[in-house]
Amino acid sequence: MSHVQIYDRAMCCSTGVCGPQVDPVLPKFAADLEWLEREGHQVDRFNLAQDAAQYAANSTVQKMLEAEGVDCLPLIFVDGKVVSRNEYPTRENLALWTETKLPVKNMLPMADGGCSGGSGCC
Amino acid sequence: MRFLEHPTRHLFFTGKGGVGKTSMSCASAVSLADAGRRVLLVSTDPASNLDEVLGTTLSGKPTPVRGVDHLWAMNIDPEQAAADYRERMVGPYRGVLPEAAIENMEEQFSGSCTLEIAAFDEFAKLLGDEATTSDFDHIVFDTAPTGHTLRLLTLPSAWSGYIESNTSGTSCIGPLAGLQEQQRIYQATKQRLGDAAETTLVLVTRPEPSALQEAQRTSEELRSLGVNNQHLVINGTFKATDPSDPIAIAMQLRCAEAIDNLPKGLVSLEQTSVRLASGGLIGINALRQIRGLGIDAENDTAPSDEVKVSSGPMFSMDGFTSLRSLVDQFAEQRHGVIMTMGKGGVGKTSVAAAVAVALAERGLKVHLSTTDPAAHLQSALADEGLDGLSISRIDPAEVTNRYRREVMQTAGADLDEQGKALLDEDLRSPCTEEIAVFRAFAESIAEGKDGIVVLDTAPTGHTVLLLDSALAYHREVTRQSSQMPESVEELLPRLRDPDFTRILVVTLPESTPVHEAASLQRDLRRADIEPYAWVINQSLSPLPLRDPTLVGRQRNEQSYLNEVRSLHSKRTVLVPWHPVQPTGIAGLRRFVAQVKLKQEDTTVSIS
Repeated sequence: MSHVQIYDRAMCCSTGVCGPQVDPVLPKFAADLEWLEREGHQVDRFNLAQDAAQYAANSTVQKMLEAEGVDCLPLIFVDGKVVSRNEYPTRENLALWTETKLPVKNMLPMADGGCSGGSGCC
Repeated sequence: MRFLEHPTRHLFFTGKGGVGKTSMSCASAVSLADAGRRVLLVSTDPASNLDEVLGTTLSGKPTPVRGVDHLWAMNIDPEQAAADYRERMVGPYRGVLPEAAIENMEEQFSGSCTLEIAAFDEFAKLLGDEATTSDFDHIVFDTAPTGHTLRLLTLPSAWSGYIESNTSGTSCIGPLAGLQEQQRIYQATKQRLGDAAETTLVLVTRPEPSALQEAQRTSEELRSLGVNNQHLVINGTFKATDPSDPIAIAMQLRCAEAIDNLPKGLVSLEQTSVRLASGGLIGINALRQIRGLGIDAENDTAPSDEVKVSSGPMFSMDGFTSLRSLVDQFAEQRHGVIMTMGKGGVGKTSVAAAVAVALAERGLKVHLSTTDPAAHLQSALADEGLDGLSISRIDPAEVTNRYRREVMQTAGADLDEQGKALLDEDLRSPCTEEIAVFRAFAESIAEGKDGIVVLDTAPTGHTVLLLDSALAYHREVTRQSSQMPESVEELLPRLRDPDFTRILVVTLPESTPVHEAASLQRDLRRADIEPYAWVINQSLSPLPLRDPTLVGRQRNEQSYLNEVRSLHSKRTVLVPWHPVQPTGIAGLRRFVAQVKLKQEDTTVSIS
């Protein structure tokens, strides 16, 4: 199982609903992290406004902030390595980095067959 | 005042701006202190004038009040509280984190949420944390005008409830996150507010229908939050002493009528009447007189007897403009926004409605948007109907629901069930209403592109927060990639454009309302918004009076009229006190028409 760390900019809240317009990327990413956790990974998400100590304690984060300013945020680490900066990755990418299987899209059951007795779908 | 006979440990004074909360709370605090109790008087009003009323310079810490043993007073300054809070959060990282990160943090902590939470935090400490106030027998709170107080008093419930029900634990608790350890205090605050043996809520009102209606709404809302130990103070009841003064008689009738028609929800409350004072209630001696008035109104010597009527100065209308000429200036433009601003109870709604009616009668298309919860305006004007005038109302609950649905349908559209649940949870945070109302406000302003929009108030009821939001959001607009509604994106530029938005700062010719309006103007200027004019409402100065109490009040107005003209405003409208409430189209028409600025009318003798 992987350890995923996200270093966000200073924000009011992680879904962005506190802003004048909800950026759809934010609630989606929050949902993706929920999914990662359900898959058994350890997820730590930090907000610069509230968890500044975490930024100060991580020398990689410090260095990147020094070099690029807050533009490097969000910074995403998987098992201590930077895998992404300045953007919110997709669920597919998160799956790839953490070697997690994405759920197969549910297919519609076929007209006949595909539904064995007792599965409860018929 | 009966609530002082068996006083609870906490006393809250609330009501619209200018109803006399400060005078009443100060008088009560002085009275308790005179009886030998140790009293702490606290103002939570961002524009507190406790210093002026008590004649003592106060700070954010309890300061002994000069001339009254056992009495200490302090102001909770939300700006200062927010600055302290910001520094508490950011300070330890200066020199530790790169400058860019520090800047980003500071930016986040200068939003409206921080201001609100920080002020609330200070307040909660006083109410919920026994240790902070163990030196005092009583804590008397002089609170900010209603909207803000309700918010302050509902926050313990709103945030406690939200934090309790927030299962994910991660998300939208915003600036409160840094205060989570304060949870215990919030719980205690909530509990204490609901305990009748601990807390008395004193609703202060004027004997006027709109103020009484608002007192009733506040009463109901606080009751629903479990604050049941309520008391009503009707401040400024009036009986004419000179029956030959028609204005005094009219005022007496208006007062009696308002009290006769006391809203149902207030009838059951214990009541105290305080007679209209002839002068400003500044200084300890004046405050000690209120107490007497309250306990035995009939037999007491009215302070109005001290007024020497004969030495009344001549009142000059020079330098004032009329509402009518203001309307003429507005009528030249076919579009844009006219906005009335000011604290509750100063007559923003009447001024806005009168301007809207007058513009519609000049053949213009006008949309009047009101946040007046009583909505009496809507029904009054809709019944009569006026060509070219349309009216709508911003209802916080309604716009919040609409906004929640909209976000779920847009940002929430592609989420799975868990993701939707998470977003839905965040949307139940108390922040959402602020944003929804803010957006509704931005939309109303945007309508000014196509016609004349008259807006009767700052929708949040707390203009400072509104403007801070506008500023913070404006910064966000410039960097956020997602599509922002045009109305939000253009809000600040529109408010700053003097040809698009014209702001009328409405006030009364009295100490608190004038100083509150001045502080409002400072906030506007901080956001690069310049008010178009000041409207001084309900002035007795242009009226020919004989009644000694009213003459005293008239004289008392002078320094405030001068202050407004010389210090605050380049264009000042004076609206005289009206014998009849300006309701309905006919009433509003009179409201605009009243002051004639013909040369021969420019000076009126007041004695």
